[in-house]
Amino acid sequence: MEQSQLMQYLPVLMLIVVAIGFAAGTLTISVFLGQSAKRTKAKDMAYECGANPIGENTPRFSIKFHLVAMLFILFDIEVVFLYPWAVVYRDMLADHATRNLILGSMISFMFILFAGYLYALKKKAFDWKN
Amino acid sequence: MDSLQNLIPETMLPDMMFYVFAGLTLGFGILVVANPFSRNPVTSAMFLVLAVISMAGLFVLLHAFFLAAVQVIVYAGAVMVLFLFVIMLLDIKDEQKRKIKKGFLLAGLLSVGTIAGLFIKGLHATRLDAHPSPTTEGDTALLGKLLFGQYVLPFEVVSVLLLVAMVGVILLSKKDLK
Amino acid sequence: MHAGLEHYLTVSFLLFSLGLLGVILRRNLLVIYMSLELMLNAANLALVSFSRFNDNLNGQVLVFFIITVAAAEVSVGLALIVALYRRRQSAHVEDLTTMKL
Repeated sequence: MEQSQLMQYLPVLMLIVVAIGFAAGTLTISVFLGQSAKRTKAKDMAYECGANPIGENTPRFSIKFHLVAMLFILFDIEVVFLYPWAVVYRDMLADHATRNLILGSMISFMFILFAGYLYALKKKAFDWKN
Repeated sequence: MDSLQNLIPETMLPDMMFYVFAGLTLGFGILVVANPFSRNPVTSAMFLVLAVISMAGLFVLLHAFFLAAVQVIVYAGAVMVLFLFVIMLLDIKDEQKRKIKKGFLLAGLLSVGTIAGLFIKGLHATRLDAHPSPTTEGDTALLGKLLFGQYVLPFEVVSVLLLVAMVGVILLSKKDLK
Repeated sequence: MHAGLEHYLTVSFLLFSLGLLGVILRRNLLVIYMSLELMLNAANLALVSFSRFNDNLNGQVLVFFIITVAAAEVSVGLALIVALYRRRQSAHVEDLTTMKL
């Protein structure tokens, strides 16, 4: 009984093993079965319509929306708290002692985060065009 | 599945998996900090993702199922993506291999040695003969009851923390803030 | 061998030491940050294993808060690194020794 909940994760483990095994197996088999061409420096160069490529092969690209990504993490955390809340919501609502607490706590939590959201909107944090 | 359970005794498998996941976590951890093949921060970030995921495996073995999911969603899914974003944004070149300064190495060994001493002392101070039997289930419902009962005030404070972080991020990132 | 509390704590300790060594010895700000994450994860592992072997869930609730704080710390810290990089064009701690921007 004690281990039974853990045993439910056995399929997950099997899936991971199969996924890794498939990827590794395919790569290994292709090394053994495939014909390997001779590698030269010219062949490994990036193809640029015949001309030799100029500059670095890892150009810098602008990620102007990194601010949105940073804000996303903070809202992502909120979902983590929402999930156990949704699980216990009905139980705690049925209980007289915790009825007001369960709703009130989440409303005030959301309210404070919503203030942050409004601040971000007002400062045009989601606008990455310029 | 039944045949597999017959193959390996049910009580053995978690212990075996502990060694697998612990080894993976530590191995990937070493590759995050000191990768002998690459000094590129992107490599470190990718290995940190793997370390975090193997740690989620350890969480499952500790019956903290919800935390394992959170670990994968928040750490591997969101935090590491942000790390990679910033690495790409900054366009950091490969770090040159350089000699580790003696002073820093001494400081590192000293601090690790101190912690190791404390850890070993602590292990000896506890009664190791009294093996506590693992009983706690990381039940999401129980976790929620605790979080929204006893820990409801920290939960509210967390929202303020997130608000502060939001304001901080916007202030630091917006160049033309009026 | 049966994996008990001390096994998990040993893993946690080793991971924490790794992170600490990374913070002290590495020179790249971003790698230092990743080592910090490693240390936080080691603390999480210790808390979860204590919670598992001591028959109460308080440790797991604490891990919740640690993950939250870590996420907030990462977003603010990375914003700081980006702001710093814009001024100095470097994310190397040896280039960042003066306080004045």
